[in-house]
Amino acid sequence: MPANTTPPLPPLSAKTGPGRTKKRSGPVPAWGLKVASVLMTLTVFGTGLGYASTHLYTTNAPLQPAAIAATSTSSTGSAPATPAATTATTTLTSAVRTTTRTAVTKTASS
Amino acid sequence: MDLFFWELARASGLAAYVALCIAVLTGLAPRTAALGFLATNRAVRTLHDWTPWIVIPAALTHVVALLLDATARISVLDLIIPFQTSYGQLAIGLGTISLDLVVIVIVTTWLRRRLSNGAWQNLHRLSYVGFVTMFLHSILSGTDLASPIIAAMSWASAIAIGYYSLERVGRALPIAKARA
Repeated sequence: MPANTTPPLPPLSAKTGPGRTKKRSGPVPAWGLKVASVLMTLTVFGTGLGYASTHLYTTNAPLQPAAIAATSTSSTGSAPATPAATTATTTLTSAVRTTTRTAVTKTASS
Repeated sequence: MDLFFWELARASGLAAYVALCIAVLTGLAPRTAALGFLATNRAVRTLHDWTPWIVIPAALTHVVALLLDATARISVLDLIIPFQTSYGQLAIGLGTISLDLVVIVIVTTWLRRRLSNGAWQNLHRLSYVGFVTMFLHSILSGTDLASPIIAAMSWASAIAIGYYSLERVGRALPIAKARA
């Protein structure tokens, strides 16, 4: 009677054995994911457009072109005006005429 | 009209950010099971291969709107060469780098059959750098990120992608060591 030379089989892995826990993937098909991603992008675009139109001038925006920065600085009143704002002059030409309409601003004098 | 382009640039910038988040997340998901609750790996991979069709229109709209917006003062050269603008050089330059990298990743993916697998993988990994530069660009220059809600959503998506990127690296390192 020859001795059994077959090596013993390795133990079944808990991950691959018959008693493993099955991980089921979600049921959404590829086309559903595509539609959802397009809808998500369009929703963000639409919401962003609505938000931008109602918040045109964000004073605490991290980046502002020089023209916008000068305007917001001079409009605050407390901050000193930029050199560009102080040196700017308006030249009145013959095309500028007086009006009979009531003034919308007033100049206070002491 | 200038205001319209300004609003369009802001909205399309947000849309491009979301589209790129979807592209990066679906690229990470098959290895990390990040979207396992939602769909099979095959479906997620199909979406990832398709995402250029949402990234390109959003990014293109953002760039064209900024070119047409006279106040933004962005030139065609600024879209290719970073740090050339007259203001916000770092913030806008990061956006230029991000755009360049996205173009490289998309074009090399379309030319994948002409490249070796290793070369394509190395070029495709530039998308991580592209996402980081885009996130920094949005933080440093995004007007709408002054809103706490939009900022919170941007940070949350970036943190999620950062987490899954680290998980992906953590899984890949032992395999790379075993091969070496």
